Amino acid sequence: MKIRKIVCRCEDLTEEDIIRAIEEGYDDIESLKRYTGATTGPCQGKGCLMHIIRILSQKTGKKPEEIGVTVQRPPVNPVPIFVLVEGESEESEESEGKVEGLNKIR
Amino acid sequence: MKVAVIGGGIVGLSTAYFLAKKGIEVTVFEKKYLLYGASGRNFGGITLQLDSPELIKLAKRSFQLYDKLSSEIGFNILLRRDGGIRTANSEEDLKKLKRDVTLQNSVGVRSKIISPEEVKDFIPDFNEDSAIIASYCEDDGVLFPWPVIWCLAKGCKEFGVDIRLYSEVNKIESENMSIRGVYANGEFFKADFVVNAGGAWSNHINQIAGIELRNKIIKEETCVTESIKPWLNPYILDLTRQVYLCQTVRGEIVGGIVGRESETLTTSSTLDFLIEFSKKAVEILPKLKGLALLRQWAGVYDKGADNMPVLGFTKIEGFVEANGLGKLGMSIGLSVGEEIAKLIIRGENNEIKKFDPLRFLKS
Repeated sequence: MKIRKIVCRCEDLTEEDIIRAIEEGYDDIESLKRYTGATTGPCQGKGCLMHIIRILSQKTGKKPEEIGVTVQRPPVNPVPIFVLVEGESEESEESEGKVEGLNKIR
Repeated sequence: MKVAVIGGGIVGLSTAYFLAKKGIEVTVFEKKYLLYGASGRNFGGITLQLDSPELIKLAKRSFQLYDKLSSEIGFNILLRRDGGIRTANSEEDLKKLKRDVTLQNSVGVRSKIISPEEVKDFIPDFNEDSAIIASYCEDDGVLFPWPVIWCLAKGCKEFGVDIRLYSEVNKIESENMSIRGVYANGEFFKADFVVNAGGAWSNHINQIAGIELRNKIIKEETCVTESIKPWLNPYILDLTRQVYLCQTVRGEIVGGIVGRESETLTTSSTLDFLIEFSKKAVEILPKLKGLALLRQWAGVYDKGADNMPVLGFTKIEGFVEANGLGKLGMSIGLSVGEEIAKLIIRGENNEIKKFDPLRFLKS
């Protein structure tokens, strides 16, 4: 059986998948993210981003700090829509205390 | 002949592809990375349910080109052609929907008016009380915008196009109202034609070229849920709530609120959007309540001042506009690129005369 090094469980990506994408020229972190789907699954990069940076660093010789990280998009954790439906916009006075903490997520 | 295309989105890459295919030397200047602009941030719905015969013609051709290019270039763009539904919940939108369908049918689009109950035949979990009328077009569909761009980039490279990423054009040089070339990252590139395919950044490009045209800037926010089994098909656009919802081939539900005019080119995400979107989306599909929202983002695009695309030659010889497509980038972008390439090669193109940038000078 072929040994597969899984680096992103959400999108089922192996180290070889990432290397192939880099070799096709998608060798900056934002392009690599989009081309492979890494960091776009349910974990939003918590499980895979460091692997992606490591492989990019090994393949391109760039330091991790030169590579940077992908733009982190809100929300921090997945939020059920039924919670959001109860929300009020920040400007609304009624919102105070109604969904505690929700409006602080920016 | 040398052509400099500014902007690595669907219009810029399509223009470059069709020019290069004819043996013309093309360089594409993208100030960020591919997919940074609206071509990488839209939800992927493509439609023939439009309100102008000229736009419908461009969209029909684009739909053919999607099939042709993905097999020609050898890239799967994850396109599903299983129709599109529009719903309306006000008298005004009802009239617009009926008017549009009449016009669409007159130019051979297979769209039809259906009742909210009939929407349930397609989408069993649709809330029929959210609309008073709907339309359906079997030719509409959903694609994944990212592979569309990669497909074009691959095709471009095969024909020798030089796609320069992180390469910002900061000066456009002309002499006696005739283009000489562009400076990108400080380096001069001689060009006989310069194509402004800058999308939301096209105003800036016009400004440095010395062209007075100004498009409207629209900011739009979008979000995506976790993946689920096939559930929402075809995609749906609620004209009254201005909300759209579609399910991608990856199983996620992608939805958003049709963009609003913006002063700035900001792509920041807001919680207000998430709340407004969630409230409106569950009115359309109540079961959405149980899904978790994974990620949100925003994008900016441009629209001609009269809400129509801006395509064609300008007062500066060799400077070509290919922008202002509004929400229709994915629906008409490929054929717009093909027509712009024809315009450059032949020196004229009646197919896009209606979108002539010089129309703004006459009024």
